[in-house]
Amino acid sequence: MRAKWLWTICLAGLAAGCGKGEAIFNVNVYSFLPPKQDSVPYVIPPSTPGIDTGSVPQRISLPGVGSSIVDSILIFGTLDLHNTGGTGTLGLQLFMASDSAGTYSPSAAVLTVTSKTVTGTQVVPDTVQGKLLSNADSLFAKTQLWVRVAAHGSNASAVTPVTGTMVLTSLMLSVFINDKIF
Amino acid sequence: MVRTSVVGLGLVALVLGYAAPAAGQWLVTDARRIGMGGLTLGRSGSAVRYNPAYRAVPAQADRRGQPKVTIPIPLGIIQFLHDHPHISKDPMFHPDSAGFNPILVVNTILNLPLYLEVKQAPTPTNDVAFTIGKNQLVVNLGAAGQLVPEDQFGISGSSRPLDFGIDIKGVRFGVMGWLHDQVQFQLGDTLLAFLHDSVPARDSTTYNVLVHGLVEGGFAPTISYAGRIAGDSATGLYVGGALHYYLGAGYARTDGTAGFLTGDTIFGGTNPVTPLGATFTQYSKPGNTLGHGIGGDVGVAWVSGPIEVGVGVNDIGATITWPDTRQDNAFYKDSSYSKPVANHVETTTKLPVSYIVNLAYTVGRTTLGADVLNTGLGATVHVGGEQRIGPWAVRGGIARDQRKRIEFGWGGGLRFGGLGLDVGFWTHTNSLSNERGITMATSLSIY
Repeated sequence: MRAKWLWTICLAGLAAGCGKGEAIFNVNVYSFLPPKQDSVPYVIPPSTPGIDTGSVPQRISLPGVGSSIVDSILIFGTLDLHNTGGTGTLGLQLFMASDSAGTYSPSAAVLTVTSKTVTGTQVVPDTVQGKLLSNADSLFAKTQLWVRVAAHGSNASAVTPVTGTMVLTSLMLSVFINDKIF
Repeated sequence: MVRTSVVGLGLVALVLGYAAPAAGQWLVTDARRIGMGGLTLGRSGSAVRYNPAYRAVPAQADRRGQPKVTIPIPLGIIQFLHDHPHISKDPMFHPDSAGFNPILVVNTILNLPLYLEVKQAPTPTNDVAFTIGKNQLVVNLGAAGQLVPEDQFGISGSSRPLDFGIDIKGVRFGVMGWLHDQVQFQLGDTLLAFLHDSVPARDSTTYNVLVHGLVEGGFAPTISYAGRIAGDSATGLYVGGALHYYLGAGYARTDGTAGFLTGDTIFGGTNPVTPLGATFTQYSKPGNTLGHGIGGDVGVAWVSGPIEVGVGVNDIGATITWPDTRQDNAFYKDSSYSKPVANHVETTTKLPVSYIVNLAYTVGRTTLGADVLNTGLGATVHVGGEQRIGPWAVRGGIARDQRKRIEFGWGGGLRFGGLGLDVGFWTHTNSLSNERGITMATSLSIY
């Protein structure tokens, strides 16, 4: 606890110098993922209109922005859909919560990327970009949050399952704070 | 509670970082001087304080247009109280309030609202970007990064709050009180590079600030002399000198470092950093054996018709010996502990040498002047003048402050017999900005 506010001391001084300018936290979420945690294997059974296959939650440490108000959070990332069989649609879904278990709640979904069609054996690159839902804002006031990445997919085929792996190659969040930081 | 501490520490650092250049401006309460860029003329302001020869120089008030008494008119306080009628409940000044504004607090401290702030120094409004990864932290302050002090910064003062005695034909026997305080910080190389140059933070690295603090005070029986050694009242050479036997009532000094150590992965664990601190403290409490030392002041002033030149130096050789000092080491890492080093040992401190050089030239109703003043924390330079036209006076000046920034002063005055009203404007950059603000000072003068 003592150590945490040392960071905030620095930030306090820095933010005081920036007046009414915005503070922008660019958080490299990808760097917090352990090896292999950047990959989400998926298996979508035949005739499935929608299913999530997710990774295990991952904790991200943050300096914390205290009583400041988060204006918006933008996300940018890239991923590859390594499809190994079947035809369906797949997209990334991002869950955030203040604890590990919370990331499994549907209300913790802060971003759902428009799905892409995959078929057969192929690698489909995809881009993740957009604005996180506002329920993520308050999480960034704390010094840690939990993130879970899921592959959301569907399979219209009545016979062949859709299988493969979604591999994140980068994931960056930009948190914009237009209020004083402390 | 944590938040309050954080805010407090942040503000202290900021205030100290920018207070030094402010100190020289705070004490000027004379709108006339402000209108001349803070210039010291004749026996006004700093000349008498720092040049003992000026005790013998006639005031020549009429020639310099100098009033006997100046009474500041604190329009700024009226404005401040109007803007913040209930300051004890004003959320802008309460760290726990959502409306708390640290910029306002710091600016209020640095620019005491004695005078009217006619142009606020704008605060930087650039964005600040933090890049955070598991083992990555980069801070880009943009233009605000220039506010991070690269050199040693802090506040320092050497004052003489008491000075009384008796004069017998130029020889003065007296006692003066003396007080010296100094608080200085220096960002360590790693912290400076991190904040100022946006160098990425490194793991397993110490980021620290070097800290030095000193306060000492006492009194000094003094014998001094000031007199004219050549010439007459129109053209004369004046010398002055003072010998002080400093008696120290108490002092405390601390030197150390405070900072933190990053982990082997910056954001890898629960605590990204481990706080570190180490200080070496020395003190002699009031009641211990008094400190003692000898020092002196010298000064010379030459007045020749319209020209007046003076040089004064204070506290020459003023080293105070403290025979009964206690020394302690204190450390902090995870928890704090201290360790006595020695007690009843002899230590010394040194008062900073201050000096002033001043020049004034008066012809007709025009007065021009310049001075250089160093009170131990860098020199300030003032150049200015005054033109009197009937009851009116027009003034202007330029100054270089302790941050080596150029400031401007201008103003005017109107005199009705023995009473005058002066208005002076002075630019300042002593707030959290590199752009100038403008202060308007007003004062009444009694001639």
